[in-house]
Amino acid sequence: MTLTSALGRANVRPESLFVLIGLIVLMAILSPVFLSVSNLFNILLATATFGIMAIGATFVISAAGIDLSQGSVLGLSSVTGAALVVYAGLPWPFAIIGALAAGSAAGFVNGMLVTRARVPAFIVTLGMLGIARGLALVISSGQGIYGLPAEILFLGQARPLGVPTPAYILVVVAIISHYLLAHTRFGHHTLALGDNEQAARATGINVRRLRLQLYTLSGFMAGLAGLVFMARVNTGDPTAGLNYELLAITAAIIGGTNLFGGRGSVLGTMIGALIMGVLQNGLNLMAVQSYYQQMAIGAVLIAAVWLDQIRIRGRVL
Amino acid sequence: MRKLLLSAAAFSLMAVPAMSETTYGVLMKTLSNPFWGAMELGVKEGAAAAGVTYVLQAVESDQAAEPQLNTCNAMLESPMDAFITAAINSTILLPCLKRANEMGIPVVDLDGNLDHKIAADAGVDIAFTIGSDNVAAGAQGAEYLVSILGADAKGPVLVIEGLSGNITGQKRASGFAEKLAELAPGLEVVASLPGDWDRGKAANITNDILTAHPDLVGIFAANDGMALGAVETVFAAGKQDQVTVIGVDGNSDAVKSIKEGRLDASVAQLPYLVGKQAVEMVTKVKAGEAVEKFVFVPTMVLTKDILDAGTDPMLEFVK
Repeated sequence: MTLTSALGRANVRPESLFVLIGLIVLMAILSPVFLSVSNLFNILLATATFGIMAIGATFVISAAGIDLSQGSVLGLSSVTGAALVVYAGLPWPFAIIGALAAGSAAGFVNGMLVTRARVPAFIVTLGMLGIARGLALVISSGQGIYGLPAEILFLGQARPLGVPTPAYILVVVAIISHYLLAHTRFGHHTLALGDNEQAARATGINVRRLRLQLYTLSGFMAGLAGLVFMARVNTGDPTAGLNYELLAITAAIIGGTNLFGGRGSVLGTMIGALIMGVLQNGLNLMAVQSYYQQMAIGAVLIAAVWLDQIRIRGRVL
Repeated sequence: MRKLLLSAAAFSLMAVPAMSETTYGVLMKTLSNPFWGAMELGVKEGAAAAGVTYVLQAVESDQAAEPQLNTCNAMLESPMDAFITAAINSTILLPCLKRANEMGIPVVDLDGNLDHKIAADAGVDIAFTIGSDNVAAGAQGAEYLVSILGADAKGPVLVIEGLSGNITGQKRASGFAEKLAELAPGLEVVASLPGDWDRGKAANITNDILTAHPDLVGIFAANDGMALGAVETVFAAGKQDQVTVIGVDGNSDAVKSIKEGRLDASVAQLPYLVGKQAVEMVTKVKAGEAVEKFVFVPTMVLTKDILDAGTDPMLEFVK
């Protein structure tokens, strides 16, 4: 079994892995500290928030859907969790419950509107992008909710066995999600729905329930990302996660998820997220202005899909 | 019936501003930042003291330039006696402010966002500019860092700038870097990166620079949100005794963090005082008194010692 076929079986775009390796080699040459263990943890830490969201995006996009509200839902979740503990004085587990519940609830509302009201997902989640951000600003009166208990900070700032907690969370969530998408009936149904909705319906898949589950899952992931974010910066920040939905979608697409559904892989998405994390980290280490970071990520996104087209069509243009 | 209700509603909307004699329009950037919240409080108390009412509007974020222009135009539809504006950039509001001038409404530049020459070229007469001196705020940050580390100190320093291309962040960062080079040449700014006013981004930059320069001694962030992202990262890395972190703004989160012994210092602007003085001065302008074209409200360095002592008279204006 060659590497390429193994990647193909896992629905990973092989080019994306080569791009990641190439970037790592390049950065290692350009910066002496890039390959240090602590720096590799930096990359995982910086990737964790939008990487977790990108996993949710992978599920939704694989089923030919889209969730544009994730970044705002991240902000809403962090504010909800922080408000329950800091404003309402509840014990620390409520920060976790609040963040995850707020995220899941937003996702559930998205799912209900898509499946019951039949409003297109693009419109529903675009609307939720505004609603969730506005609600986060209302709950927090527009100000960061600072000062979380130590148990919550542990989730963002601690380094058990030298590894940052968000890195553990990202890896565990990625492994479970990969299994869910690649090896369970739920995952197969998700991909089947994205491939051909009529056929999926004909084979007896409950499309409505599946979609509702997928949008709720996406909201849950945004809630989890919000939890990690607030633990990292010790604040429920209503402006947190601005434009992160685009980072999440970019990571999924670079990793080989088909924007029109039917193909998707959590492993691929992790590679996509790491490409973006490595680019940002390497350019930071070299103190390069972030203008170039945005350009580099945009170029990699287009290049990844272009390479894919070259492989499918057998020609460049 | 429905028509009657609608016209009654419309009538009541129109009736409200007409009831008071003097009304100031206040257009801010966004209320999703404690800085502008404190400024609003100053405006409120200044207006109460002067016996005037005010109508305050803001937009969803401090980058929503075009929506701010739309809001500005909409505000001019109601009668007002003066227009106090904090433009998102130096040009976006000019067409609206020109209209205000033409309507005989004096225009105030709140927090120094307009360029007087560009405004004059566009036909806008600015009654006065009031705000903090951002270059001086950055320089105060450098003075504080040198007071902690000493003039002979050596070591790498990180500067986290604001949004790429934003003049306020640039002034603070350059004010800091120039003063630092003058006071302690051994302290070298090894990276000056835009954190885009984003806590998470500032946290990532801090992590990366701590890796590139494990002996980092100081971080200056162009606002408190980014400084708080940086300081949490420094604590997570266990380097709080080695790295001094300084922010700018003196907002409520930063004050809490300083009191808890996390953030080392924040160069506090006094937005409350800016808002209050803006209203006081515009009242003078309306009375025909001459005022300075540029009014700089001082900034102060907040540290744990100063906050715990609580005796500095300026603390009254830190909201």
